[in-house]
Amino acid sequence: MKRFSLALVLGLLASTAAHADVTVYSAGPGGLIKNLAAGFTEKTGIKTNVFQATTGKVMARLEAEASNPVADVVISASWGTATDFADKGLLLSYDSPNAKTVPDFLKMEGAVAQGVAGLIIAWNTQSGTPKPADWSDLAKPEYKDLVTLPDPAASGGTYTLVEAFMANDMEDVLQGLKDNGAIVAGANKAALNPVLQGAKAAVFAGVDYITMTAADGGETIEAIFPASGTVVAPRPMMILKSSQNQDEAKQFFDYVLSEEGQQAVAKVNLMPSRTDIKVDRPLIGDLKLLSTEGAPARDDVLAGFKKIFN
Amino acid sequence: MARGAVAPGAEGSAGLKWTATIGLLVIVAVPCLFIVIQAIFPDFGSGSLAAPFSMFFKTLADPDLFGLAGNTLLLGVGTVLCAAVLAVPIAALRALFRIPFALIWDALLLIPFMIPPYIAALGWIMTLQPRGYLEQITGFNMASLLFSVTGIMLIMGLNTFSVVYFVLSRTFETIGARYSDVGRVFGAGQWRSFWRITLPLAMPGLAASLLLVFAMSIEEYGTPAALGRRIGFEVLVTGIENRISEWPIDLPGSATLSLVLVSMALIAFMLQRWLLTRRDYRIVGGKPQAHDKRNLGVWTVPATLLFALVAFLATGLPILAILATALSRTISGGLALSNLGLDNFRQLLGTGSDGLAALGNSLMLGTTTALLASLLGAITAYSVVKGRGRFRIVLDALSITPNSLPGVVVAVGIILAWNQPWLPVTPYNTPFILLLAYICILLPQPVRYATASLHQLGDNLEAAGRVSGAGPLKAFVRIVLPLILPSMVTAMILVFAVASRELVASLLVAPVGFTTIAVFIWQQFDQGSAGLGMAMAFCAVLITTLIPLLLISLLRWFSRGSVAGLN
Repeated sequence: MKRFSLALVLGLLASTAAHADVTVYSAGPGGLIKNLAAGFTEKTGIKTNVFQATTGKVMARLEAEASNPVADVVISASWGTATDFADKGLLLSYDSPNAKTVPDFLKMEGAVAQGVAGLIIAWNTQSGTPKPADWSDLAKPEYKDLVTLPDPAASGGTYTLVEAFMANDMEDVLQGLKDNGAIVAGANKAALNPVLQGAKAAVFAGVDYITMTAADGGETIEAIFPASGTVVAPRPMMILKSSQNQDEAKQFFDYVLSEEGQQAVAKVNLMPSRTDIKVDRPLIGDLKLLSTEGAPARDDVLAGFKKIFN
Repeated sequence: MARGAVAPGAEGSAGLKWTATIGLLVIVAVPCLFIVIQAIFPDFGSGSLAAPFSMFFKTLADPDLFGLAGNTLLLGVGTVLCAAVLAVPIAALRALFRIPFALIWDALLLIPFMIPPYIAALGWIMTLQPRGYLEQITGFNMASLLFSVTGIMLIMGLNTFSVVYFVLSRTFETIGARYSDVGRVFGAGQWRSFWRITLPLAMPGLAASLLLVFAMSIEEYGTPAALGRRIGFEVLVTGIENRISEWPIDLPGSATLSLVLVSMALIAFMLQRWLLTRRDYRIVGGKPQAHDKRNLGVWTVPATLLFALVAFLATGLPILAILATALSRTISGGLALSNLGLDNFRQLLGTGSDGLAALGNSLMLGTTTALLASLLGAITAYSVVKGRGRFRIVLDALSITPNSLPGVVVAVGIILAWNQPWLPVTPYNTPFILLLAYICILLPQPVRYATASLHQLGDNLEAAGRVSGAGPLKAFVRIVLPLILPSMVTAMILVFAVASRELVASLLVAPVGFTTIAVFIWQQFDQGSAGLGMAMAFCAVLITTLIPLLLISLLRWFSRGSVAGLN
């Protein structure tokens, strides 16, 4: 026991010695933040500590640490987290010179999008079903009992889509899905897995970059942008006001929004936030977007969804 | 068998008592205290004590709570039943009769401990769902059984029954045939003497292990989350986890729900305690015992087949599913020969440092946790069973509490406690915080094992040591520890296995840039590389199984039979 306590004390001293690094808490994908951290360190010599988990877990850790924050930069997959943090006055305002070509709807006081995900239909090409073209197709008899959708409570993207459906009086599509035997299956990955193996044919409200990455890996799956339009989920990047390393955090911001950083974003099939970065995939400007203007509050959206799917 | 409460004969050592008390206070009580504070003061995370109880009653008044609590009880009881039905017959067979390949069955039944439950659940889904591995091979699927409450209970029973099997076969073995022989001399048949003598004497082991299964199943997140969410079957722990993992985060709500869960486990614990103290179960009295097992005769083949079936369902099938996924290049390609290959394993070892570093971290943490938790567990159990005074029940209750606390809540409690700005030094953001979390979560296991073992230990052996001049500490180290060592080895293996694959707490409290096996696997799934994750899971299961087996063989070789029960 004694020797162990000694080791403990030594370990603690060693861990508190190193500082002036930048600590980033990021939602997945893990490969992206790893590349960004490595590229940033190589460019600036500043060490980057990364904690990567889901948006929910990142937020839980931030909340539990609130009295003594550890993170400098936070990247989440849900824009709502940024507006919430801004309302609480937690964010440092920083106008990065590299954010000039980021369109206005992808930035706000204290946050700017790292990249953008789009919501799609993820369809298994070997499922023996016709290729769907629009959301409402999945309510047809060909897809009876063959559709999954992520829970809007667990997936920020699905939430935004449901919100848009409610704002545009399209709830009947959701009702049609329910009547057609669609199941709500947890978070994004839990909804995609049965479609990959063929237990189901399509994910309603799949995430584009996850689906494209799976297809790149040889899975027989395709990301379809529905004809009637879709929504996007910008991934806010923020600097916490409590950060002790604000200069380093700002440099990290600049790096992510630099040409090199945005290419790393594009490499995992996310849309870059900057409009002047050209990559080979449908970009924000190419998409028909549904408005969420006039949608009810979060609790009402979730309650409305639950009413249909219960 | 004298009726009445167990008389605390030996006084125990004050030093041991204080070690147990301080250890439990730091490791268990501190995080628990912060969870209670969080439940009461919703803004405690940001250092404010405003609006006490505002969220507490709101959460408790939520009409959904009854449904969640009811489902939790249903799942716990159902899993205990499944585990008992699976474990009791084979444990009795294993302990009292000669079973062919007995050691192989033991080794195989150890593996379910080593398979992370969420991986096992995923394996079952990929096997039984429509177009799953079963349908690809045989043409039919069992989706309707899999995605049902019964299915969840069965799978959780298969994941946990080996806890009961190992404890119970040890206990049956210690009881041996001696006591039931006495019954048979007085005219009882074989069944009658088993039901009236052997089984009642095994009650401490049975009750302790079933309580563990109950606590494990109401605390288990992976299986109900993977299977239950699809059929709308929510339990307390999924409710707690969702409140923490889904933005907006509701820490006070999840802390309050955890308190409900803990009270459930404490009630089960009181029940077990009441069962145990009603009678005297001391059967190790220092008299030499012959471990003679009987022959099964014509029943040898059916008994062997039963072992084979149980081992296949609990171990073979999940492992095969893991391996099938790990060997598939793509999930959608299925089991076609052209789709199979070692690509994922190559990538796992090829990514070099990442996967291997995670493996090293987890093995290191697992071993340290096993040693420290077992030592603290043995000392705590000794202070509780053989000590005197009121503090015993407090220690005992404290040691069982983490069993019913979901890992994610322990993690939040630990962050709240150890990230306070006024602490001069803190283990937070170092690997030591994971060690604290693991010991806290897993402490109940060695405590339960040691308690059951100590309940069977008469006081006369220790008293004999004291009369011959040994101090209390020496008597504990030289007499008590060796006698409970077999149970402790089992406990250590269990702790090692669970600690080296713990996911939910690790995900939240892992220091920045530090990866463990489970976190690595989870990150692979999160990136859509299910095959790579499964390859890692397979390697981890293999390593965490082989290390304890090697350890046991070594121990047996070194002790050469001088430690009872290591066979």
